[in-house]
Amino acid sequence: MNNLEALKLAIAAILAHKLRSFLTLLGMIIGVTAFMVVLSVLVGFSAYVDEKIAGVGSNSFTIRRFNFEDFKDTDTIAEAQRRNKELTFDELEFIKERAQYIGDIGAKALPNSREIKRGGETLRDIRIEGVEPVVAIIDKYDIAEGRFFTDTENNNSMRVAYVGSDIAKKLFPQGGALGGEITISGIPYKIVGIQVEKGTIFGQPQDSFVQFPIKTYGANFGGLRGSRGLYFVASAKDDKQFAEAVAEARQLMRVKRRLEFSEKDNFGILTPDAISGFKDSVFGSIGTVILIVPTIALVVGAIVVMNIMLVAVTERTKEIGIRKSMGARQTDILRQFLFEAGVLAGLGGVVGLILAFLIGFIITIYIIPTRIYLSAGILAIVVAGGIGVLAGLYPAWKAARLDPIEALRAE
Amino acid sequence: MLDTKADPMYKFMDEERSNPAPSSASDVRPAGKPLISMENIWKTYQMGVEQLHALRDVSFKVEKGEYLAIIGPSGSGKSTLMNLIGCLDSPSKGDYWINGNLVSEMTDDELARIRNKEIGFVFQTFNLLARATALHNVELPLIYAGMRAGERHDKAQAALASVELGDRVGHKPNELSGGQRQRVAIARALVNHPSILLADEPTGALDTKTSHEIMELFEKLHEEGNTIILVTHEHDIAERAHRVITIRDGRIESDKKTK
Ligand SMILES: Nc1ncnc2c1ncn2[C@@H]1O[C@H](COP(=O)(O)OP(=O)(O)O)[C@@H](O)[C@H]1O
Ligand SMILES: [Mg+2]
Repeated sequence: MNNLEALKLAIAAILAHKLRSFLTLLGMIIGVTAFMVVLSVLVGFSAYVDEKIAGVGSNSFTIRRFNFEDFKDTDTIAEAQRRNKELTFDELEFIKERAQYIGDIGAKALPNSREIKRGGETLRDIRIEGVEPVVAIIDKYDIAEGRFFTDTENNNSMRVAYVGSDIAKKLFPQGGALGGEITISGIPYKIVGIQVEKGTIFGQPQDSFVQFPIKTYGANFGGLRGSRGLYFVASAKDDKQFAEAVAEARQLMRVKRRLEFSEKDNFGILTPDAISGFKDSVFGSIGTVILIVPTIALVVGAIVVMNIMLVAVTERTKEIGIRKSMGARQTDILRQFLFEAGVLAGLGGVVGLILAFLIGFIITIYIIPTRIYLSAGILAIVVAGGIGVLAGLYPAWKAARLDPIEALRAE
Repeated sequence: MLDTKADPMYKFMDEERSNPAPSSASDVRPAGKPLISMENIWKTYQMGVEQLHALRDVSFKVEKGEYLAIIGPSGSGKSTLMNLIGCLDSPSKGDYWINGNLVSEMTDDELARIRNKEIGFVFQTFNLLARATALHNVELPLIYAGMRAGERHDKAQAALASVELGDRVGHKPNELSGGQRQRVAIARALVNHPSILLADEPTGALDTKTSHEIMELFEKLHEEGNTIILVTHEHDIAERAHRVITIRDGRIESDKKTK
């Protein structure tokens, strides 16, 4: 009997015992689905942090008042509050003038939240921030309509705004947002650009913001200090010399602030690597812990396959006897049952994967982005099939070794 | 008459006929190896502390082309003997030779091959795969013989036609009568052209009329040159055979040529 023949027998047996096949499948499906969903959330989350939050691949970094380590405990926070001065436009100019490796550098001011009006419509708690025009280049803004600010608009503190797609949609349901006017604290601003829709991260809408030229922001919302303090965004001239650009920024800041060789930085530099490294260290441990649960589900699935195959062998002892009396060899019986277990489990893997994909799709829409790599999907099917074969091994071996006459006597 | 004497086939038959009836089957030793040879076979079951001898010192030979009936009361060891002949079971003691090969020395694969190619077994309770069609049931030995699907299909179809079930190939066992089921089992036993057809009370589960039809089928198969060993406990069925072995309490009581 060749493998094709064994496969046909396996499929026939699966179809002939629908309830049992279904239960086996269920065990595998639950295991694979749980595993893949959790994995896809972890991978998706990690990739998301890399791409969007850490900005891996964007090749920009920020220079800020505080460092990661400053938030370790209350003492370090207190010390940083005292030592670390707010960033200034002076420092920005200082870096700009001397930069060799740094490409573009621009200032942003920390965001506030305000009420935004247009006609009768009001939106509460909308994030507003001030940005230098060059930031759109550094952070590679995706502009859907219109344009970003010009230097003239910034230098003259003109009342122009660049908004997220949500703001445009909600305040201008009939359209016409571009060129339209919004009002904050009674002051009108003209929309000159609208950002491409980004969706949500962790339930947080990414399209609900308003940006102003940084000078407009400072002039109209109460100065660029404290809760509207400055930070700089910078890119490298050459992506291959990103590390040199970061080192240069640090050195220039130290020089400008006249720090002694032995003193530590009184500012912070945040690079994508630092963020994703931080994420990896947190994630590595959380990830393994979280994956234990679905792994148990997968193992339970395998045990279900094994149990059901054992039942199958017992229930089909007579069939085995008949087959043996007709000349089936041990290997034929072994193969028949192994194929059956493998096909069932593999099928469970495929269905589980499809389910995981659908669930992941829903999670992506409503909660956080998920991702299933093709390789992980193929691996899931292969592993599920493998687990099935392994789980089927013992029952199949038992069946193959049955004495024909003993097997025939079974009812 | 003179012409028929010259025909080698008739000559052979004449020789057979001129042989005096042997007192014991073991005395029959024509040229070449016998198809089946059992020498001092014992089958013992351990029942707790007691030993149950289902077969006691059984010896006999079967030649190609014979039509042998094994008769005896219920529990006398007939099925036990048949299962040994069919290589479904192994003796506790003694030697069993098939086509000159010692069965006890065969590997599991060789035994599977014997069951597949040399032996066609017809069971009292049919032993058909309940969930498979008549055609698939008949295909079974061919599957394990490694035959390709197309050829297999044709052969199984032909075997079913030869037992007059050509129009029932798609039926499952529970859609067939007892007689039809047994004919499917016979087609299955014959499809791979075995050396011996073994039938353990093939009519035991059938009514009288159907039994006669099945017996006529066996006669036809014997006339076509098949070697047949048939187990029964009914004398009128045994009478149709050409040789009858009577068995009682696991021993051969008599072994007679009847035709
Ligand atoms: N697997 C077994 N275990 C124990 N005793 C058995 C077994 N099979 C058969 N026997 C006994 O062996 C004897 C012969 O049985 P069997 O060959 O089935 O008789 P028959 O076919 O002539 O009716 C009976 O006494 C039966 O109880
Ligand atoms: Mg019996």
